[in-house]
Amino acid sequence: MAAVVLCMDVGLAMSNSFPDEESPFELAKKVMTMFVQRQVFAENKDEVALVLFGTDGTENALAAGDQYQNITVHRHLMCPDFDLLEDIESKIQPGSQQADLLDALIVCMDLIQEETLGKKFEKRHIEVFTDLSSPFSRDQLDIIIHNLKKSGISLQFFLPFPIGKQGGTGDRGDGSLLSDHHGPSFPPKGITEQQKEGIQMVKKVMMSLEGEDGLEEIYSFSEALRQLCVFKKTERRSMPWSCQLTIGSNLSIKIVAYKSITQEKVKKCWTVVDARTLKKEAIQKETVYCLNDDDETEVSKEDTIQGFRYGSDIIPFSKVDEEQMKYKSEGKCFSVLGFCRSSQVHMKYFMGNQVLKVFAAKDDEAAAVALSSLIHALDELDMVAVVRYVYNEKTNPQVGVAFPLIKDAYECLVYIQLPFMEDLRQYMFPSLKNNRKCTPTEAQLSAVDALIDSMSLVQKDEEEGTIEDLFPTSKIPNPQFQRLFQCLLHRALHPQEPLPPIQQHILSMLDPPTEVTAKCQVPLSKIKTLFPLTEVIKKKNQVTGQDIFQDNHEEGPTCKKLKTEEEEAHFSVSSLAEGSVTCVGSVNPAENFRVLVRQKKATFEEASHQLINHIEQFLDTNETLYFMKSMDCIKAFREEAIQFSEEQRFNNFLKALRDKVEVKQLNHFWEIVVHDGVTLITKDEAPGSSVTTEEAKKFLAPKENANADSAAAFEEGGDVDDLLELI
Amino acid sequence: MSSNNMSGWESYYKNEGDEEEEQEEGLEAGGDYSYSGRDSLIFLVDASRAMFESQDEDELTPFDMSIQCIRSVYTNKIISSNRDLLAVVFYGTKKDKNSVNFKNIYVLQELDNPGVKRVQELDKFKGQEGKKYFEDQIGHGSDYSLSEVLWVCANLFSDVQFKMSHKRIMLFTNEDDPHGDDSAKASRARTKAGDLRDTGIFLDLMHLKKRGGFDTSLFYRDVIIAENEDIGIHFEESSKLEDLLRKVRAKETRKRVLSRLKLKLNKDVTLTVGIYNMVQKAYRPPPVRLYRETNEPVKTKTRTFNVNTGSLLLPSDTKRSQTYSHRQIVLEKEETEELKRFDEPGFILIGFKPLMMLKKHHYLRHSLFVYPEESLINGSSTLFSALLTKCLEKEVMAVCRYTPRRNSPPCFVALVPQEEELDDQKIQVAPPGFQLVFLPYADDKRKVPFTEKVMANPEQVDKMKAIVQKLRFKYRSDSFENPVLQQHFRNMEALALDLMEPEQAVDLTCKEAITELRSSFHGRLSC
Repeated sequence: MAAVVLCMDVGLAMSNSFPDEESPFELAKKVMTMFVQRQVFAENKDEVALVLFGTDGTENALAAGDQYQNITVHRHLMCPDFDLLEDIESKIQPGSQQADLLDALIVCMDLIQEETLGKKFEKRHIEVFTDLSSPFSRDQLDIIIHNLKKSGISLQFFLPFPIGKQGGTGDRGDGSLLSDHHGPSFPPKGITEQQKEGIQMVKKVMMSLEGEDGLEEIYSFSEALRQLCVFKKTERRSMPWSCQLTIGSNLSIKIVAYKSITQEKVKKCWTVVDARTLKKEAIQKETVYCLNDDDETEVSKEDTIQGFRYGSDIIPFSKVDEEQMKYKSEGKCFSVLGFCRSSQVHMKYFMGNQVLKVFAAKDDEAAAVALSSLIHALDELDMVAVVRYVYNEKTNPQVGVAFPLIKDAYECLVYIQLPFMEDLRQYMFPSLKNNRKCTPTEAQLSAVDALIDSMSLVQKDEEEGTIEDLFPTSKIPNPQFQRLFQCLLHRALHPQEPLPPIQQHILSMLDPPTEVTAKCQVPLSKIKTLFPLTEVIKKKNQVTGQDIFQDNHEEGPTCKKLKTEEEEAHFSVSSLAEGSVTCVGSVNPAENFRVLVRQKKATFEEASHQLINHIEQFLDTNETLYFMKSMDCIKAFREEAIQFSEEQRFNNFLKALRDKVEVKQLNHFWEIVVHDGVTLITKDEAPGSSVTTEEAKKFLAPKENANADSAAAFEEGGDVDDLLELI
Repeated sequence: MSSNNMSGWESYYKNEGDEEEEQEEGLEAGGDYSYSGRDSLIFLVDASRAMFESQDEDELTPFDMSIQCIRSVYTNKIISSNRDLLAVVFYGTKKDKNSVNFKNIYVLQELDNPGVKRVQELDKFKGQEGKKYFEDQIGHGSDYSLSEVLWVCANLFSDVQFKMSHKRIMLFTNEDDPHGDDSAKASRARTKAGDLRDTGIFLDLMHLKKRGGFDTSLFYRDVIIAENEDIGIHFEESSKLEDLLRKVRAKETRKRVLSRLKLKLNKDVTLTVGIYNMVQKAYRPPPVRLYRETNEPVKTKTRTFNVNTGSLLLPSDTKRSQTYSHRQIVLEKEETEELKRFDEPGFILIGFKPLMMLKKHHYLRHSLFVYPEESLINGSSTLFSALLTKCLEKEVMAVCRYTPRRNSPPCFVALVPQEEELDDQKIQVAPPGFQLVFLPYADDKRKVPFTEKVMANPEQVDKMKAIVQKLRFKYRSDSFENPVLQQHFRNMEALALDLMEPEQAVDLTCKEAITELRSSFHGRLSC
């Protein structure tokens, strides 16, 4: 638990700003809002007070006479809430006065002393927001420093400009600052003498409190906004997990493990509430079970049992059975199954949702030495351990890898889960190398080469031999949280307004460093010209043969109708769906046929032979579905035959078909032909035909035992070729 | 989060409470059948006499090998995707059984879900007894026409009532020139194979060992080409079950793309890529509720209603709320989604970093695989290929901001180049493309109270090295089966077959399983 006093300068100069820039007053409010909203949404027990200086009025415990004037305790130490946020947003106004910063500090210290009496606070902290332009008197500086030290109060300063921090940007491990590559690291021009004096004073205070590190606690507003995490965040502590690392049956080492990386999720869930009353009690969820019959008969939960699918079978399997028969692990375990070369355990196999760091147990020298020798042995041999890991007797076992990690301050094994055989998917992908279609040219390759160089996110220091990371992603806070807090706060303070846009400083935090963006413009435009990239226009909905057939069938009986627009529709659909057709396939034979004869890709004779082949095969299946498909083909054949004056060919085919149908006892099929009225092509339809309408009608009429001869001719067994020979 | 959750998988059921996670998982799993339909696979097995002849006494016959391999796919499918459809067809048989009464073709099992009975049926064809059983029940035929065989297979697919997402035929044979003496038959077979291809049916050749070698150029090269030409992979013939299994495994799972996304180098230069999941936690299937009287599955319906009025509530009748320091904050459901939106789905290139800057111990969640997608932007493959080539050559990775889908916040990822790798059987073990590695945010890292560093001396390290060397083994990612899943399925199998005692699954993660590794282990570390 911490007690924090926000000490904000609202004096005259804080409102001054360059055109198009936010004033220090507004920026300070933003930073404070961010801090307070984090506190509110984290729901911890920290208490926060707000002291303003430079106010027109005066309101503080120390004010007397002309002492401690223009300093207002706006809010006493208490849990931060929306009222405080509301105050920061709208109630705090810039003052027209100036107040002594050191006086304000004394008021803050006094407030902490008085208001933490009898309460337990582990941390006492003052955050000062000022532009340092008001004069101050140094008289009490030493006493202030002495008192801060004595009462264990820490300080942070937030200023409108960065101060020079020579040599202060070493790697401080987790939670350290980004080196400020976004802006200059020295005070910008235009700083007054008064402000320079203020900077000296602030530096002196911080140096005397925390030594060199103290300078790290002086931030510019923009720095603070960008990093968000500069606030001493309430760290989540990892729970220790103690176990024995075993190698074989003889060697065991006492270890303790901690989660070191795990995806941080939003803590609070959304509650579903009734839209009118906004109460969650008004809503109830109910689950019912019902049989799979027409009435969906409801059954009670008691009348149901649990089962599992095993392929196509469903096996009743009660919770009791399950408990009895399930796999039981023997409890906590961290045992080495074997060691292998580190290259065999590729990162792409890592799975699970956490990284564990494994240390020797506390205060166990033997364990520490044993683990250290294992860590160094693995490191020197470039090997890793494959480990069986069980968290406790209620959890399932894992297989994982443990590899050495050696740092200056500590060394440990890092454990990450590996997949079981069942978790793997082996997919194969076409080779990119030997594929002529996508092999880049030399020019293209060198353009990409130049792009990679221009977009390098590291800066090499040749002298030092070090590499500086210009975009350390693991130091960027997850913007999701900040965005959520922003929206929650906005809705809390302005319930009727729509959600606000994302704050600019969050967006810019996610963008590449500006110098990289600038450098890559030329290589990128080169890539744009060298690589043709065209968006594929979405095809119309693909139409399957089935769909077409169904349409066709509905329109069936009146063949003639098909000749007009309908026909054209078929044609365009087929050419779209099929792309280039070279022969009559079995999927869309009718469509293929139309395309072939119309585009003259094959002679009518050739195409019709292919079509007849398919009709034959379809009929051989003796299934209604294929009968329908055959009908489709026959109709297409008929229409195209009329178009291309090939009526004789069709009529011959249809006659042969009728005979064949009889031999093969496909009466059911012939009924469809009759029903759809598909008959010989008459001379009214095509001049080349000699068939009269009367004859055509008669052709479909039931036969009286005629044509016995031709039937006999087929008896030997109809093969595909038979029909063709007759044409 | 309670400390109990440390391992994060105490239950094999997906967490019902954690709605968000579930949604995510569901999407990531990418196997939503209701949208994509079911995969279907026909095992087409040559049953000619030559398939029953082994070249060596202790060698499996090609037929036996095929059956064992098919059985293994059946049991795997039961575990991994029990809604997929499988079938087994023999050809070159004496008896025939198929819907169009073609000779020499015997449909053993039509396309259906794999189940216990089907596995048992397959078992009858195993080994020497299986050979005899085959000869008694079905027998070898003298002739067949491959075009008819494929015709029958096509019919099997069209008889299925379900929506199918993927249709595949795997042909097991050791005859490299089936219609050598009949060019008409051969050409009909080629045409039919072409027809299948046009319908979207994939045909794979699982060619088995033949005396004198299997020559694909005689016949099959023309039949199988289309797909393999694209893929550029030509398998070797298999003489071992293990090789055959790997070949079959590689083909039996269809690539499911999680999403197709844009990768923006800047606002003007965009290519498209497909995202794939190569590692995915396999869960035990969720239990189903059965009606006690009949053991039939019951439907579950959840309804939301207003307690006061008793009326059912539509989603629009509800809002979402959170309460902080006594103040209730209310948002519309859409707003709770909207506030997670930063970018359109896709990748935005930030820049490049040396590969060595990727920290193994900064693992966040399992990686994905990225491969170019030509279907949305033409030319993507060429640019992708150029990026891959150069990243490999310069040993760099691409750092991107990644938004997996609408309304999901961005995260940073590293695209790590991966070169194509084939094994000695010419099976692709690593495809060409980028590994998508998730990078943690500052919030994801936790401070760990570390133990003081105590260094071992060089002698102690050497002793440990000796132990490490003795326990050396070759790690393969598929070395370990999940004992919990295996036990569950053994139990199910036993109950389904009415066995008294389920077979105990061998837990390879238990020390006993690697005793041979340790038998030589005597060393003891004195510290």
